Amino acid sequence: MATLDELMRLPAAMAAFEFRGSGELLDQRIAYPERINETTLDLLAHMCAANMSIATMQARGWEKVTAMKGFYPIQEFTLVGFDWSVVVSGFRREQLKSEGKTSLPPFMGVVLGNEKADYEAAFAVLEGREPIS
Amino acid sequence: MSIVTDLLAKPGVIAAGEYAYRGDRFSYRGALTEEHARMASIMCRATTMGVNMEGKMLEVFQPRSGLQPPRGWMVHGADYTVCVMANVFCMLDNARASINDIVGFMRQTVANAPSDLI
Repeated sequence: MATLDELMRLPAAMAAFEFRGSGELLDQRIAYPERINETTLDLLAHMCAANMSIATMQARGWEKVTAMKGFYPIQEFTLVGFDWSVVVSGFRREQLKSEGKTSLPPFMGVVLGNEKADYEAAFAVLEGREPIS
Repeated sequence: MSIVTDLLAKPGVIAAGEYAYRGDRFSYRGALTEEHARMASIMCRATTMGVNMEGKMLEVFQPRSGLQPPRGWMVHGADYTVCVMANVFCMLDNARASINDIVGFMRQTVANAPSDLI
């Protein structure tokens, strides 16, 4: 599982954070406190938790209606803002659920500057596929 | 060429379309039925409206945040990704598409898209 410090090593990482499924911010790392603070991350975590839930519901419904598979469960939700993006993941939670585990880790997220953002690298680190050096 | 045609020519894009913010029209091309494309456009529009409302709330907490105004969003599943920028959506096959290229192309193409109708 990715750590906050690993996420902060992604290109253009501005902040990394952990949050509950209900949205509460649990822990964070912030590279530029003058540009992004804990209060902002807390609201962002709540936004991301809500959007993960909505996207998961939509993916579930979409698969039932269309018989297309491969959308559900949602692994990552990404909000692309004007200059920054935020990528959040519940991948490890889903993996543990599928293994029958009931004790689940928090959701994780990273805020990236758009110009150098590498979304695929962010997915890989959040999913634990690629440890970042 | 339109952005939808351009998107569909990119590797791994299985369908792409546009919707009106007011919700009364959509168009699409690719491997979806008309009814499924209609449903996809409604879901994409609803989420776009939601993230724009949330972005405005975030702006109150932290003015001049780099997240405001939202340009778009993505949901990434095991095999497919839905990518939306402004009022344009596309569905990607993860095995064949470059998400970074698609997001970069869409961000650039819709950079000046007006958002006053949201």
